[in-house]
Parts: sequence; structure tokens; C-alpha cells
Amino acid sequence: MSLASRLKRGGAPPLFPTHSKGGMPSIGDRLRSRFGSYGFLAPAAVLVTLFFFIPVVIILVLSFSDLDAANFGTLQWWLPENWSLDNYAKIFNNKFFPKILGNTAFYVVSTLTLFNFSSALIIALLTTHVERRTGFFFRVLWLLPRLTPSVIYIMMWQRIAARAPHGILNQLLVPLGIGTGGNLLQASPWPFVILVNGMIGASFGMVIFTSAIEAIPRDYMMASKVDGASTLQTIRYVILPAIKWPILFVITYQTLSLLTSFEQIMLLTDGGPGLYHTEVWALTAYHRALSNYFGNNQWGYGAAWAVILVIIGVIAASIYMRVFKFDELVEEPKIDLL
Amino acid sequence: MKVKLENLSKRWGKVVGADHINLDINDGEFVAFLGPSGCGKTTTLLMVAGIYKPTEGNIWFDNQVVNYMTPKDRNIGMVFQSYALYPHMNVFQNISYPLKLKKVPKNDMRERAQRVADMMGIGHLMDRRPAQLSGGQQQRVALGRALVKEPQLLLFDEPLSNLDARLRLSMRGEIKRLVIELGITAIYVTHDQVEAMTMADRIAVMKEGKLQAYDPPDELYDQPRTLFVAGFVGNPPMNFLEVEVSRKNGDYHAHREKFDAIVPTEQGEKTAGKGNVIMGIRPEDITISDEGVGGEIYVVEPLGRDDLVTVQIGEAIVHVLADPVLGLKMGQNVTLDFSTHKVQFFDPQTEKSLLWAE
Amino acid sequence: MTLRKRFGRAVPYVLLIITVLPVIVGYFWLILSSFSISTEGLRSTGFTLSNWSFLRGSPFGRGYPSIWKVTLNTFVVAIGMTIAVIVVSSLAGYALSRLNFPGRKSFLSLTLILHAFPSVTLLIGIYFVLRTLKLYNTVLGVGLVMIGFELPFGIWLMKGFFDNVSWDMERAAMIDGASRLRVWGEIILPTIKPGIAALAIFAFISGWNAWLIPKTFTIGAGQQATLSVYLENFRGDTVAVQWGAVTAVGLFQLIPVAIFFIFTQDLLLSIYAGGAKGGT
Ligand SMILES: Nc1ncnc2c1ncn2[C@@H]1O[C@H](COP(=O)(O)OP(=O)(O)O)[C@@H](O)[C@H]1O
Ligand SMILES: [Mg+2]
Repeated sequence: MSLASRLKRGGAPPLFPTHSKGGMPSIGDRLRSRFGSYGFLAPAAVLVTLFFFIPVVIILVLSFSDLDAANFGTLQWWLPENWSLDNYAKIFNNKFFPKILGNTAFYVVSTLTLFNFSSALIIALLTTHVERRTGFFFRVLWLLPRLTPSVIYIMMWQRIAARAPHGILNQLLVPLGIGTGGNLLQASPWPFVILVNGMIGASFGMVIFTSAIEAIPRDYMMASKVDGASTLQTIRYVILPAIKWPILFVITYQTLSLLTSFEQIMLLTDGGPGLYHTEVWALTAYHRALSNYFGNNQWGYGAAWAVILVIIGVIAASIYMRVFKFDELVEEPKIDLL
Repeated sequence: MKVKLENLSKRWGKVVGADHINLDINDGEFVAFLGPSGCGKTTTLLMVAGIYKPTEGNIWFDNQVVNYMTPKDRNIGMVFQSYALYPHMNVFQNISYPLKLKKVPKNDMRERAQRVADMMGIGHLMDRRPAQLSGGQQQRVALGRALVKEPQLLLFDEPLSNLDARLRLSMRGEIKRLVIELGITAIYVTHDQVEAMTMADRIAVMKEGKLQAYDPPDELYDQPRTLFVAGFVGNPPMNFLEVEVSRKNGDYHAHREKFDAIVPTEQGEKTAGKGNVIMGIRPEDITISDEGVGGEIYVVEPLGRDDLVTVQIGEAIVHVLADPVLGLKMGQNVTLDFSTHKVQFFDPQTEKSLLWAE
Repeated sequence: MTLRKRFGRAVPYVLLIITVLPVIVGYFWLILSSFSISTEGLRSTGFTLSNWSFLRGSPFGRGYPSIWKVTLNTFVVAIGMTIAVIVVSSLAGYALSRLNFPGRKSFLSLTLILHAFPSVTLLIGIYFVLRTLKLYNTVLGVGLVMIGFELPFGIWLMKGFFDNVSWDMERAAMIDGASRLRVWGEIILPTIKPGIAALAIFAFISGWNAWLIPKTFTIGAGQQATLSVYLENFRGDTVAVQWGAVTAVGLFQLIPVAIFFIFTQDLLLSIYAGGAKGGT
């Protein structure tokens, strides 16, 4: 068909263009553009499915069963007829449930207020206040606890708290006649639990607050200084209002983070000393299901503890997404084909 | 290669990039897409390149519809405003990248890249990284990369807008010469009407995704088909006055408050009795003379060769290019002669020309 | 300058120093102890190099794997994890940033939710996944889990870097004749080297340091142990702790982290800020 004869058809799209390659996508092309994008995602999708989705389903199902080391292999925990809500009832009837709940609340609230929020903000304010290089130096130092292997980091703290004559704090306290020279971690574990986690947690807020403060236009700060505001007034009326979204973000995000973290506590006190002294919710789930400390691996019971945290986590995470509108950071692709 | 755009549209939801564009490009023709920023020039060009898929309509290369052809198979070369060089590759690697993808043998590749680089005057810079080159040199590398695979169609997207004024002038000439010499069909996108006027065989003027006019430069200038084209092409821009044309004693007159000018018969015949129309007249077509329409000079801006004189006539403002020897001063009263056969008239509703509309 | 003013100037510095004191003291003790027979507070009871003898043999006696075997395990996990995290996150990040496909928004939202998700609470479920896949108590299994946990951060970070790459460059490459996979590998990846470097450092450090996951999914200080797990076994208060040797091993483990830390602090801090904004 010639161009001329085709044009006579009055601009309607041609039904059979000369080369199908250009006129219509070939089946191969169509497949490629349909599934090619998913090829890029496939490895991530597999790993996410294996280690996020399936585990969520597993712990949910497990939490309805009473699978433990004793009936492992015989109990068909995946069958609905073996499901019940007993594990959840068991959690709330647990003699130590109020203690654990209280511990968790105390741990989250005090670490968050003292460190992950307040210290983070104070360090950010201080390090942006002093000379640039110095500020940078101190921020980098604050990053150290996060980068140090947790086992080593906890070792340092245990040594700081150890009994005389080895303990570093006792080296200071005993000559002053304070305390008995015993292991401070045994005597008062909570301050250490909070300090240990807080010194790691603070760097998250510190980094976010710092970049938010540095993003405040210099003019604002100058104007406030020219107006004769004191440093504290500048903070109160210029800086804090300017970084209220980062503050909200850090608080909400770190609440969830603290609620579910237990690695440092596990290394430092393992929930002790004694029964449940510093045991928090997430650690209980781990202990019940994955450590032999309490005799049996109570996978079903431990999973029930975890499921409650997962539910809180999913709800909180989806709320963050709404509030902070992260999904609006997507830009439409500016190339149509694959 | 001939190119034909047929009812070509691109939309993203409610956003319209290109709106039912129809145009033909002849083999070896140099066409400019001209229009203000955001009018859809790049969108149209990227559809021709195969980067965007048309929402509607067809793109023809010779007598083949290429809507679904990948950019790779279209055999085109493209130069971008940002040059879009690969920062981690040196000049040689940049220029030869299209050949490498075509699996051209090593020696052949080296020779062809060198030939193109020499042609662009950057043959001695082959080992440099883009970051070590000046803007003009980067532009040449980008051109070389577009040319090396001997494309059938060259696409330019505002290639000169990142260069300084002097370099822009010389590159303009060079690109024009190169394209004519190679005889390749070319589409050149620009928002700079001087570039379009000086380089292109035909100019497609666009506004809000729609094709406004598609004419050779002189026609575009002398016979603008829409109000938009008239106002967009030409610098300083055309003056527009709302007037009414009527016949008095055998002559046609355009009149409004404190304004009465004689209109050539040819234009008068087409506009008389149509109520309010928009009269368009270029600053260089208005002369300062002893008789005509009186007004007061609002400000005088010397442009070197001419003075740009702003004259207030009643409520209206008119720009006039005047000879500096006249020594016009602010506040002075002058009379302006509007009687030129180059005067244009437009319908205020449709904004189409009353003289040249098909 | 008045005394009051000078005092005011000094306050921020004093505060900063006091707050980081525990870290400095901790590190000081670690180094001191590794070269001491024993320590009392921050006082050494005598200098010795014998703590470092583990470099030649097993520090904690026979029956335990040699330090080199453990180091190799750790290194394999960390490097393997780094490479895998980079490849997988940059593929997925690229798709989320640049490709058009149904479900793109949902996948991105999902990445974000996972980002804020308490992944450690899933360890119980993962335990069963690994057992089913016969990967329990293997270096590979531990590695895969750690890769999975690192992905939300990695994908988000990579997506941010891809977002900033010029579209024109990608278009140019496609017109030059490259497929999308080639564009990714030959054009885009090389231009986001800083992002890859940053992710590599984070992934490596997190793999190198990891304790909880290797501890959970391997059995004790056996042949599959990584440095953190290995070290932790000799830290407990049941056996008489050989603090000198333990701290020396600890310092040994800290070496790569310290190297990264010293040479890439600017990058670390700025990237951490960039990544953290998406939450980490
Ligand atoms: N990928 C895209 N997604 C959504 N809208 C777009 C896209 N590309 C261009 N547009 C819109 O289409 C219109 C035309 O843009 P463009 O073709 O870039 O204009 P020009 O090149 O003439 O300056 C603009 O309103 C622009 O915002
Ligand atoms: Mg454009």
C-alpha cells in the first residue's frame, strides 16, 4: 500500500502498517514491557516475601497454636482445628504481664524523652551552635555507638558498671564513699539500660535535627539576633517552630523503634537481674520462642507476644506514611517504554 | 527521510503535553518547533524519538508508522539542552557509545568516532572527561554522539540555551551548515525565535500543546496566521490595538479613541464592518512623521542601531523603532504614521488572522 | 571579654564533652585492656602483648574454631551481604524511581512501611522459613536474612539517588540504542557511585557487626560463628572472663569499622542523614 493511497483513507489509523515492528508492538515487546519492570523488582520481591510476608503469616498462625519443642513434629500447627486464642489469654493472665507492660512503657518513655528526643535535640542545637568543624567532630563521635558492634559496645558498659576494683565508675565512686563498690548493673540496672540504648538512639534524631536546623535560612537566625533575641529565645521562637515536622517524625518513629528493639537489653541484662527486672515486651517474645533460657522453645506462645507488636508496628507505619506523605515523593517516570 | 505527525497527542491525566498535532517534514528539511516554555515542544520531540508513547495519533517515518518502534530502531540522533553526556566516560567513549551498542568492530568504531570528532573540532580531546570540557566543547561532543551512527533524523532540544551569547551565535551557524551539508532531516526545538528564524526552512509555532502555524520564516513574519504567532515572532514584539475599521471617502480608516489611521485597501476590504478587530503593527513599520496620529513619548530606550520609543496614545501604548538621529526625548509630542501595507488584523474572538486565515 | 561571657562560650563545649564521655571512656578502656594483664578501673596492672596471641591460635583454647575461620565467616557474610544488598536494592530502587508499571506506587508504599517495620519481631517466623529451606545454622541463611532486613533502607536510599539522575542522560542512552538493563548498568549506576559507596559502607558495617541474627540462626560458637557471636560466648559471667583476650578480639573486630569510620565520616554522616530522612 502506498503512502498516497493510505492518506486517502482520511487520517484514520492504518489497520495494517507496512512493518508490524513499528505499527504494533510485537508480542515479545509487549511481554518485555509488561514484565521487564518486574524483573528489576524480582530479587527484592523474593527476599521481602521470604523474610517479611511469609514470617508475618507464620507468626500469626503460630500464635494460634501451642507449638513448642515438646510437640514439634507431631503438632500440625498449620491446621485450623489446632488453633485457639489460648496464647493470647495466657499473655494477659500471666503473673508478670503487668510487670512487663510497665517495664516496656517505662523503657520506651524514658529513653525517648531523655535521649532519642531531648539529647538528640540538644546535641543538634549545640553542634550547630559551635564552630562548624567542631560540631561535625562531635556528631561523628555520637555516631560511634551506633557503628560499634553491639557486643563490644555492651562490654564497655558492663565494665563501666562492674564491681570494684575492676569497674570504672566504682573507681570514682568508692573513694568518694558512694555506694558499696558492688556491680552497679545489679544494683540499679534501669539507668544503664536507658543510657545504653539512648546513646545509640540519640544519633538518629541528632542527624535529622541537624540537617533540619541547617536548612533554616540564615536570614531568619540573623533577623532574630538583630532583634536582640537571646539564644534561648531564638531556639524557642525560630528554630523549634521551623523543625516541628522533623521533631514529630523522630518522636513517632523512635517510639516504634524502641518498642521493638531488644538486642542491647538482651546483651546487657538479658531481662534481669532476677525475674523480669528489665524484661520488655519484645524481649519476652524472643525469650519465649527462640531461647532455651526458660526451658522450652514455646514458639506459639512467643509468636503471640510478637504478633501484638507486629500489629502495633503495621498500624504505626501506615499512619506515618499518611502523616508524612512519603508516598508523594514518587515522581512519574519520564520515559514511557521499558 | 520524511516525517509526518498525524493527529499526535500526548496527555498525562489532565495535563496536556501535545494536542492533535498535524505536520509534514520533507526529506532533508530543517524544521524548528518554536513556542514559549511549557508549550509541548519537548513532548512532541520525545514522541518522535520514541521516548514517549503517543496517547493518540501516529508518527510516520517515510511510509511506516513507528509509534511502537523503540528509539534504538528509529535510527535517530538527539542533542539535549543539558548535553546529557555520560560523565564517567571520556569523549571517545561518549561518541562511540552508539557504535558499541551496535556492535561495530573495534577498529571501525575508532575510525568513525575519530572522523566525527575531527569534523566537530574536538578530535584532540578524546581522552577528556565531560567535566573537563567547556560548554561549547561539551555541545560538540553531544553533536558528535548524535551524528556518529549516521542517523536519518536529527533531533535538537534547545541545544544552545546553555551557552553564552557569543558562542550561541557561532554554534548556530555551525549547526545550520552541518545539517545542510549532511542533508539530514532535522527537527530543532527552541523558544528563541531568532534561532528558529535564522536556521529553519519551516517553523512550527506551538502554544499550549497546539500547533499554531507551520510556515517558512518570512511567511511567519509577514503573514502571521494567529494573534499568538504575530505576538510571539519578532523582537521587539508587534503592537496590538483594538480598533474598528470603516470606509470614509473611499479610504479605509482604523479608529479608536484619539486614534485614526488610514488602512491599505487590500486589508481594509477584509476588515471593514466587522466591528472591533485587533490591529497589529510591528515597531519597525511605524514611522515618525509630520502627520498622522499624535501621542506623547513615555520613554526612550536606545538599542544601539535604533531607539525603542514608547508612545502613549490615549489609553494605548505603542512601541516604535526610531532612528537615533531624531534625538527623541521623553515627554515630547510626536506624530506617528501607521499607514503600512504590513499592517495585520485579527479577530478578537478566534484570534485568527482576518487576512491570511485559510 | 568578661568572665561571664567567656563562661557562656565554653558551656556548649563542656556539655558536648560530658555527653560523649562514656563513649570515650569505653574506647579508652578497650584499648588499655587489650594490652594489659588486667585492669582496675582505668588503671592497668601491667603491660602485655599476650592478649593478642589469638592471632596465632585459638584464644579460648581448643574446641573452638580459630579466629581466622570466624573472621572469614564474618567477612563472607559482610561482603556477600554488601554486594547482594547493592545489586538487589539498586535494581529495585531503579524500578521504583524510573520505570512505569502497574503497582509501582503500592510497592513503594510497601517499601516505606517495611522501612518503619519492626523486623526483629519477625525472627520467630523467619526461624521456620530457614528451617523449611534447610538454611538454619548456615552462613548463607544468616546472610539472606540480613540482606532482607537491609533492603528497605537500601531500596529507599538507592531510589533517592536515582531520582536525582538526569532523565535526559537516560533518554540519550536509549536513543543511542541501549536497553533499560544496559542503561541501568552502564550509564546510571556509574553516576551514582557516592550512593553505592554509602550503601556499601552501611551494609558492610551492619553485616560485620551483626550479632542478633547470627546468634539466633546459628548454633553457638561453632564453625558457622561470626565475630560478634564468637566474642559474646566469652563475655558471659559464668566462666571467668579473660578480659584481656576478649578486648583484643573486640579491637580486632573494630578495625574495619574504624577504617571506614575514619576515612568516610563526611559521607557516613551525610548519607545517614539522607537515608534517615526516609527513616531507618
Ligand atoms: N513526563 C511528564 N509528565 C507529566 N507532565 C509532563 C511531562 N512532560 C511534560 N509535561 C507537561 O507537558 C507540558 C509541555 O511540556 P514540554 O513539552 O516539556 O514543554 P516545552 O519543551 O515546550 O517547554 C508542560 O505543561 C509539562 O508540565
Ligand atoms: Mg523543553
